[in-house]
Amino acid sequence: MKNVSVSFTLNGDPVTAEVPVTWSLLKTLRDHFELTGAKKGCGVGECGACTVIVDGDAVNSCLYPIYEIEGKSVTTIEGVAEKDGTLHPIQTAFLENNGVQCGYCTSGMILSAKALLDKNPDATENEIRTSIAGNFCRCTGYVQIVEAIEMAGKRMK
Amino acid sequence: MSDHLFVGKSVPRTIEADKVTGKAVYIDDFKRPGMLHGKILYSNYAHARIKSIDTSKAKKLPGVRAVLTGQDIPDVRVGFLKDQTVLKKDVVRQFRDEVAAVAAVTPEIAAEAVDLIKVEYEELPAVFDPFEAMKEDAPLVHEVDARGRPVKSNILPLPWKFEAGDIEEGRKKSAYMTTDNVSTTWVNQCCMGTSGCVAEFDNSNNLTLYNQTNVIFGHVGRISEYFSQIGLRGKKVRVVNAIVGGSFGTKLDTDIYEFISIQLALKTRKPVKILFEREEEFRALPPRQPAIFTIEQGCDKEGRLTFRKCEAILDNGAYTSWGATTPSVMIMPMSSLYRVPNVSYKATCVYTNNIYCQAMRGYGNPQATFAVETSMDSLAEKAGIDPAEFRLINRNRPGDETPMRLKITSCGLEECIHSVKEKLKWDEKRGKRKGRGVGMASLIHVAGGARVTKSDGHGMMVKVDEYGHVDVIESGTDQGQGSPTVITQIVAEALGVRPEDVFLTFGDTALALWDAGTHASRHTFMAGNAAVRACAKAKKQILEMAVEYIPKLVKGGFKRKKRKDPDFVEPELDYGLVSDPENLDIRDRMVLPKSDPDHPYFKIPVSQILRSGLHVGVGESKVVVAEAFYDPPTEMLDRELKGNLSQTYAFGTTGVEVEVDEETGEVKILNLVAAHDVGKAMNPTLLLGQIYGAAYTGVGYGLTEEIKVQNGRVMNPGFRDYQMLTAMDVVPIEPVVVEPLDEDGPYGAKGVGEPGLVPTAPAIANAIYDAVGVRIRDLPITPEKILAALKKKGKRN
Amino acid sequence: MIEYDYKKPESLEEVFSLLKEYGTRAALIAGGTDVMVKIRNTKRAPEVLISLRGLKDLKYIKKNGNYRIGALTTHRMLERSPLVRTELSALHDGASRIGSVQIRNVATIGGNICNAAPSADTAGPLLVLDAQVVLEGPEGRRSVPLSEFFTGTYKTGRKQDEVLVEFEIPGKMEHFGSAYWKHSRRKAMNLPLLGIAVSLKLDGDTVSDARIALTVAAPTPIRAYTAEEFLKGKPLTDEVLKEAGKISASPECCSVRDSLRGLAWHRKEIIEVYVGRMAKLAAEKIKNR
Repeated sequence: MKNVSVSFTLNGDPVTAEVPVTWSLLKTLRDHFELTGAKKGCGVGECGACTVIVDGDAVNSCLYPIYEIEGKSVTTIEGVAEKDGTLHPIQTAFLENNGVQCGYCTSGMILSAKALLDKNPDATENEIRTSIAGNFCRCTGYVQIVEAIEMAGKRMK
Repeated sequence: MSDHLFVGKSVPRTIEADKVTGKAVYIDDFKRPGMLHGKILYSNYAHARIKSIDTSKAKKLPGVRAVLTGQDIPDVRVGFLKDQTVLKKDVVRQFRDEVAAVAAVTPEIAAEAVDLIKVEYEELPAVFDPFEAMKEDAPLVHEVDARGRPVKSNILPLPWKFEAGDIEEGRKKSAYMTTDNVSTTWVNQCCMGTSGCVAEFDNSNNLTLYNQTNVIFGHVGRISEYFSQIGLRGKKVRVVNAIVGGSFGTKLDTDIYEFISIQLALKTRKPVKILFEREEEFRALPPRQPAIFTIEQGCDKEGRLTFRKCEAILDNGAYTSWGATTPSVMIMPMSSLYRVPNVSYKATCVYTNNIYCQAMRGYGNPQATFAVETSMDSLAEKAGIDPAEFRLINRNRPGDETPMRLKITSCGLEECIHSVKEKLKWDEKRGKRKGRGVGMASLIHVAGGARVTKSDGHGMMVKVDEYGHVDVIESGTDQGQGSPTVITQIVAEALGVRPEDVFLTFGDTALALWDAGTHASRHTFMAGNAAVRACAKAKKQILEMAVEYIPKLVKGGFKRKKRKDPDFVEPELDYGLVSDPENLDIRDRMVLPKSDPDHPYFKIPVSQILRSGLHVGVGESKVVVAEAFYDPPTEMLDRELKGNLSQTYAFGTTGVEVEVDEETGEVKILNLVAAHDVGKAMNPTLLLGQIYGAAYTGVGYGLTEEIKVQNGRVMNPGFRDYQMLTAMDVVPIEPVVVEPLDEDGPYGAKGVGEPGLVPTAPAIANAIYDAVGVRIRDLPITPEKILAALKKKGKRN
Repeated sequence: MIEYDYKKPESLEEVFSLLKEYGTRAALIAGGTDVMVKIRNTKRAPEVLISLRGLKDLKYIKKNGNYRIGALTTHRMLERSPLVRTELSALHDGASRIGSVQIRNVATIGGNICNAAPSADTAGPLLVLDAQVVLEGPEGRRSVPLSEFFTGTYKTGRKQDEVLVEFEIPGKMEHFGSAYWKHSRRKAMNLPLLGIAVSLKLDGDTVSDARIALTVAAPTPIRAYTAEEFLKGKPLTDEVLKEAGKISASPECCSVRDSLRGLAWHRKEIIEVYVGRMAKLAAEKIKNR
């Protein structure tokens, strides 16, 4: 098994990891960095539970070859709150508006929302739904998630 | 009733902040030192004899620690009807049969080892249709039963038969009658977190099973029974839940993969984790039970129902889990949805070589309600009565006792039907047939527990410490429905503390008392009632301590003041105010006299009193701990399948307005009104979440979801081709919460987890009929089915 | 166990030299959303994956007489481009309906076409926009009409030592309106049951030129030439469109079949209905410009 050494920024910190070249970004985050917020819901980019933000864009980390992360900036759910623990408006909104039920889809959901709201806090309902169309949720029916993202957008302005 | 501080308020889920920060530990994230990973080899055939299994290459792969086949473990039968073994030894009876299992140091090595196992099969004739399977010359799925006696037919020895009144009498009184053939198919629960567990034995062979189950004590029971047959009789089983990534019925039985992880852990003496891939979750996880119904109903000239007769055939698959018990729940809508005097219901479960089934949100009620509510609309049309009016004529009323002997206490069905009518503008929109239409369907579901085992109890322990923190040991399961928040609200309300003072432990059988299971939408009702009772006991203990310690603390304070300031005059206080616990209360963390809540001296923090009671020096320390076991005064179903098995029942009506594209058969839902009788809403925002989530799953059930099974094989084992809905598939849902307070619920609450799903599919089917005049009687109602029906109708015209 | 090496060249020359060195033991990978999934599902991988993501100058959407789109342009870029939305609408429709935002952020138009699935969502739009595929190899550049590029299911005319670098759409398509319909059971995260792309040029209310492309209606994405010929010179009426739809759905134009995702008879119905609907939408795009 051939290893590769990649250096990138992870939640604001410069990091280096040496992992097998066949590893995905998801596996590297979970098994090497022990950041288990990103989940393996399907492993083939069909559920969104593994969503993280790379250079400002939401991506499925299960399909992201680790080699490609060199020099890039990654945000996982563990990097969304402030360093002192203060929750991000999106996180607070999810807790206030029941956007979290079992919570399995939540990491990916929040990151898809953050990628959107960072660029466009005034996102319309349609834009919000488009941004989370790749994040499946079985518990909520999406309604309170969309509302939470709208609430967060308003607070982020 | 509405001076509550927390109950009835939309308290945020702050207690679950770990879920938004990535800290929550699900079974995928859970690790134990030295843990191995297990993977399962599944069968290549729907029905075959196993001629040989060669595990030699797998065993040699570096990193592999154990390879097991049916030959390596005791041949013990498990499951509800004891019709399967953990690893299949001689015969495989469905594609997802577990033939071998591997434990290795990484999941990748385990998967590679599984691929190296070579199995030789001799294919046997298989049967994939329950009607074919019932024929005399059908290949037998099982040759012997659990006791080794030869089996002569594929029909399960589990005849479901319910009779009340006299169907013939009912027929005689009918002015109108209809017969409908209705069917539902397999759908997957689609938990976002896949199935998995970690089994670990201690040196004395006591087991800890880290899991995500709804029935922690059910597991203990079933695993203990298994242990008694594999030489581990009397060993302790402890079940501990990780955070659960969704359940929806998947976690009510002890599954084969759990027994496999136990065997691998036993063999390797290491903790073994089995975690399903998503493909396994679709192929190997038992889905919702399909059903084929023939339903007949009649009514008199005034539209009053005269009888309801239904026969159902259930494709049981090759083995038996809770799918075969769904008829016990189907009897509820069959006999008790609307007032119907004469009822007959018969269900036959049939073995086939298809996938076997378990519970899914609603547990038979969605299937049966689809049949009943399709028939209701059919009959209403025949009788020339508006479907909403028809339902109102036959509605359940508070105080009714149904043919199943269910005692209806609170019932908001009438209000639900009226709300739906009003919000959909029913009278204006109904009957136009121009591509837009409205339809409705109602539900009845258990909402105050469900006595399916002898005890339908729920135990809870509450401990208050000397810092004023409350620890609640809960015996149910948090599957995401918001229980931590709701229990916190109830405890804070009942004890007089704040929600942030309350800490919960869920799902550990070593700590928890006992619970029948988090199912049947019973958790809030049961845990809430247990909480109210346990907190009442704890509060009494605190107040009794207060009677002893308030005077001591106050007088002690005065003594200290006097020492510092000799001129201090001790005030004359009426200590009678604090001499009787009955006259004291706890509000916002303070014990105080009810008659003088702002008393300058007698308002003392709970923590201070408890500290005094604990640190007594010489004498007997007291801690505050109370338990309550709530078991409602309900009955199990008797031999006739009758009995008031729940303390109260939930009612509701879902109404839908649809637009059907007559050229393509596509259905757009313009509005979905979900009116639910929930008793008191404990937490309005959480309640809405249950209604939205359940209704949305119901829309998928009605329109898009199906597991495609061809010759026993699951053809769409992934989200790509299994049509669970996305956030782009907008369904405008308008919830209506009807709150006739229930006397028996905690603060008047009833259960709501499943009801939201139950009537959705038939409401959509009924609306489609109103829109374009075609009635689709089998789920899901795809555009193809509608288009085919429209073309057929066009041809006939 | 799946094993492969991963190379990330920084120039086309490096790509050519790697392709020469490894031959059929290597495969090209761009966004990875097809290649990685295939590896996971088949449990097989080539010896070497050669990543094209280092070729940053292949990411562009330009108009200079002709439209030129770099092969590494992501679907998200196409989705967000005002130029594509207004002047190449069918391509906007197709690209923006692929998978999810997460997929579209990394998946490329070059990858979508080279994967050559009969369901590729950019194929129909590119076909009705008269797209040319530009390939570059050690011998130089060549251009192939997309309509001749698909040689079979998952097969293209790309030679083993070539890289698809660009799509070229003739400037005259500026005067066409176009639209693409992705027929699927839900609004996201689906492969199409059927894809219908139409582009039209109008002379008043008469169709002066037309293109119709179908996906999931044959082993490769195809043009419905007979239906196009029928439309030319005709007024854009319901009857005409209905007939065009019928011709498109007929064996003269396509070969729909039953599959796990849908049935042939239903697919025919959808073609019949949506050719007309997309034609109307395409006409509106011209009017709204």
